[in-house]
Amino acid sequence: MDLSLIIFVSMAMFAIGIIGVLVRRNALIFFLSIELMLNAGNLLFVAFSRQWGNQIGLVWVFFVLVVAAAEAAVGLAIIINLFRSKQVVDVDQYNLLRG
Amino acid sequence: MEYAVWLGLFLPLAGFLILTVSSHYIGRRLTGWIACFTILMAFICFASLLLIYTHADMTPQSFTLYNWIPVDKIQAGFTVRLDPLSLVMTLIITGVGFLIHVYSNGYMEHEEDFVRYFAFLNFFVFCMLLLVLAGNLLLLFVGWEGVGLASYLLIGYWYHRPAAAQAATKAFVVNRIGDLGFLLGLLLTFHLFGTGDIAEISDRAGKEFAMGAPVLGLLTLLLFIGAVGKSAQLPLYTWLPDAMEGPTPVSALIHAATMVTAGVYLVVRMHPVFMLTPSTLHLVGAVGGVTSLFAALCAVGQTDLKRVLAYSTVSQLGLMFLACGIGAFYAAMFHLTTHAFVKALLFLSAGNVVHMMHGTTDMGKMGGLSKVFPKTHWLFLTGVLAMSGIPPLAAFFSKDLILEQEYLAGFEVLFFIALAASLLTGFYLTRAYCLAFTGKSRLEDHVLKAVKEAPPVMLIPVSILAFLSIAGGLLGFAFGKTPILEGFLAEVGVTLAEKEPSNIFLSPETWLSILIAVIGVGTAALIYTQWADRLRQPFAFLTRSFYVNELYWKGIVVPLKALSRFIANFFEPKVFDGSIQAVTYTAQGVSRRLQEVQSGQIRSYVAWMVVGTVILIVYLVI
Repeated sequence: MDLSLIIFVSMAMFAIGIIGVLVRRNALIFFLSIELMLNAGNLLFVAFSRQWGNQIGLVWVFFVLVVAAAEAAVGLAIIINLFRSKQVVDVDQYNLLRG
Repeated sequence: MEYAVWLGLFLPLAGFLILTVSSHYIGRRLTGWIACFTILMAFICFASLLLIYTHADMTPQSFTLYNWIPVDKIQAGFTVRLDPLSLVMTLIITGVGFLIHVYSNGYMEHEEDFVRYFAFLNFFVFCMLLLVLAGNLLLLFVGWEGVGLASYLLIGYWYHRPAAAQAATKAFVVNRIGDLGFLLGLLLTFHLFGTGDIAEISDRAGKEFAMGAPVLGLLTLLLFIGAVGKSAQLPLYTWLPDAMEGPTPVSALIHAATMVTAGVYLVVRMHPVFMLTPSTLHLVGAVGGVTSLFAALCAVGQTDLKRVLAYSTVSQLGLMFLACGIGAFYAAMFHLTTHAFVKALLFLSAGNVVHMMHGTTDMGKMGGLSKVFPKTHWLFLTGVLAMSGIPPLAAFFSKDLILEQEYLAGFEVLFFIALAASLLTGFYLTRAYCLAFTGKSRLEDHVLKAVKEAPPVMLIPVSILAFLSIAGGLLGFAFGKTPILEGFLAEVGVTLAEKEPSNIFLSPETWLSILIAVIGVGTAALIYTQWADRLRQPFAFLTRSFYVNELYWKGIVVPLKALSRFIANFFEPKVFDGSIQAVTYTAQGVSRRLQEVQSGQIRSYVAWMVVGTVILIVYLVI
């Protein structure tokens, strides 16, 4: 498979993730977008690992997955608590840190 | 011996501390006892030191308590110097001070704040003792400022009276001008000699500097400015008449024992340096002469009994400086001593009247008091005659000595000025006596009935002072070769300018001075007993003391106030506050802008993060 195609797909995924974070206000979608960006990175790791024929990239993917899992657990907990406090999951409503 | 010095010095301080700490717990009687006892003990200490000193043929000695300021080149110890000059001064301070303390028990009996008064009185004596005993100029300066503070506190004792509060502030501020001169002189001393030790300075000044060296002239001039402020000489005398707002014993203390004599003492103490600078000495003499005549003229015009005495003090201090000016330091010290006795006597006997008449000091409301005050009036008369220079009372000898020295030294102008001042002395004091004690009574009837002679606690100290005023002149009268006081003080170089003739009654100027005194007293007695009622209103410009106060007010205080108001209303809000507020406004503006970035919107943060990352990547790639 062509490496440039994979890179293109990865960049597209990352861009979709960023745009998702920037334009969607639903906290869950927000969260999904972050996962999408992480997996765009993972895709690049795997692709380059295969290209150069070593396993370092694969090891990194596992790390990223572990971190993503942990982050999902914490993040979802936060979202649930936020929902309990305001009964909405719209991130624009949570501007308590405004200076 | 060393212990006696420290005991004498610190006992009044102990009294002050005890009274201050326990002011709420002790009664009136105990307060008076503590205050008087500490001063009496101090007097006994110094008196015994005097006996030891004279009988053991001792030389001047220094005692150091501890090294006070050990900073590189400035080595100032807490050192006291025991020599004839300081001994004479301490005896005057504690002796007259003790009598005034005792007297105060009677004078202040009706006051609420009894303890505060005595605490400050003790503090005053302590500061003055420190001043005269100090072995180096830095320590002397401590006492110097201490008496300034104490006088402020005591003149403003009745602080709820606006006049008293104002007088206290005035005394403090005017003194501060002189103190600035003294402080600069002190710094110059340290610069020139690297030490403040008076004995060392006196010793080295003659060796290291030529006669009339300009820098020494500056030094003595600065010290003299300090003396002018403290001793109420001509440009800076205005605080002393106003200081009459304080209780009368305080006036007595300021005028006789503490405070105003400090300036004369300083000049006498530093006489080895002053002798090297003839130009400053001429200035000292001139200032003293002009002041003595000026103040004597002012005294003639006063309607307030205490103010007459105040101007009299200024005048007599002028005479002391006059004597210093020709190098007759012993004459100045002798006059200081007799003046202390006589002026304390005058003030305290005037205080009897003032106290019994509930604070009335206006002579226009007195008259014929000799019937009401049979004893006080004799005491006051003694003081009047003694101060006027009627032989053989105390001040005759000292004043005659000053006149004689002027005459022998060939300063004819100063001689005639001094002569005129003594003529006026007799005149204004007799005038005050006649207005207050003789003639028809101008008291209202109900006041007259209530007034009676002062109690013994007040009369006895005054009587002792009267005795001293009569006999004090013998200290300086030659029984043998040299008078006692002169021989004693000669040891520290405080001597006369010219050799005194062996028999003073053979010299013409003695007879002239007696004649002058008699004329002064006689004229006043004649005028004010015969025509007292018509001549009570004297010349306005004398009463207002040549409008000097008004001049200072218009020339200095008003412009200064205008300047302050300008600074307060324009400079302060616009320049200082403005510049500081500009800084705060800028900071506030900037932070308000920055605040908007912190919107709390996660998505905007993310957007900024993306922008930042993109910029970073672009930067790194290119």
